[in-house]
Amino acid sequence: MTATWVQVLAGYLHLLAVAVYVGGSIAMEFVLGPAQSYVPPAQAQVIGQRSADRFLVLVWGALALFPISGLLLFFSLGDQHTLSGMQFFTTRYGQTLLGMIVLWAVLVVNGAIITFVLRPRLAQRASAQGGGSGVAQRLEVMQSAVKWVSRISRIDLGIAVVIVLLGASLAYGDGIL
Amino acid sequence: MRVALGFLFTLAWAVYLGGALAMELVWRPVQRDIPPSQIGAMCRWMGRRYRWLGLGALGLAAVTWLAWRGLGGTVLLASRPAAAVPPAASGWPVAAMVACWGCLAALVLAMGVLLHPRSHARWRAGAHAADAAAARRRKVRALRTMDVLLRVELAVALSTTALVVLPSGPRIGWAA
Repeated sequence: MTATWVQVLAGYLHLLAVAVYVGGSIAMEFVLGPAQSYVPPAQAQVIGQRSADRFLVLVWGALALFPISGLLLFFSLGDQHTLSGMQFFTTRYGQTLLGMIVLWAVLVVNGAIITFVLRPRLAQRASAQGGGSGVAQRLEVMQSAVKWVSRISRIDLGIAVVIVLLGASLAYGDGIL
Repeated sequence: MRVALGFLFTLAWAVYLGGALAMELVWRPVQRDIPPSQIGAMCRWMGRRYRWLGLGALGLAAVTWLAWRGLGGTVLLASRPAAAVPPAASGWPVAAMVACWGCLAALVLAMGVLLHPRSHARWRAGAHAADAAAARRRKVRALRTMDVLLRVELAVALSTTALVVLPSGPRIGWAA
């Protein structure tokens, strides 16, 4: 009975994390992002920064929830026997799970790059310090950061969809890899 | 086939629920610091796009679930002991999920087709003062109703997610 409720809770949290990451990214990328072109650029920048700051909190929450709920789900389903010894590397189930873990790690690394490298660059304000060339240089750095954030976000969305596919193959089959 | 249906259902539900969560937890707080005219310009465009995204996701979830039911709605996991596989989906969780889906579709349609256009209604510069005031009142009422319905929609969507993962439920969630 307890195992069943743990399974339900783990399944709920896992699905919620998927929804926040995948659905949230799609809403940010294809609804909120393009809508910013309907307001003046300075206002769009403020909206972009604030919405990205808030969304990053959700993203990190979802990334933390994936392994926690995933482990809960794994143990509550009684799947431990399927991955004892070298089975993690030799069975389709184990390889698929390993693939999901590797892709999750890629999402964490990409999230860290966006949060700790690219976002601080975007938060810089172009001041008159250093003259005209200094301002132009900062703007160039910011534009480059915007491009990289956009690229990485889309790559992350693609990776997350692949993770959902791998997860579905584990829930409804015995793996896909 | 089951993997494909499970994948599409999960993806559709994630798009719908995640979109609703992003709107509530990201867009709504951000609006507080933006001038109303600019919120209006963005909302008009976002509402149109989000309506199709929401309806599309709900539609895909329904189609994949019906196809799943058509296949018998059972999960046979070669890698798991039989004890871990709960009995076939039936009873109140399925009925509740269907009711919730209908409620969500009705909410998205009501907001997209009725309330959203009303909240962006304009009145002519030369309109009679009483007509303009009535139109303004309708607009404010539509905005307030949408505000409440968006929260109801999110609560129903979160409850439906719980039904999806119940062992005796529709069995097409992660805990299947």
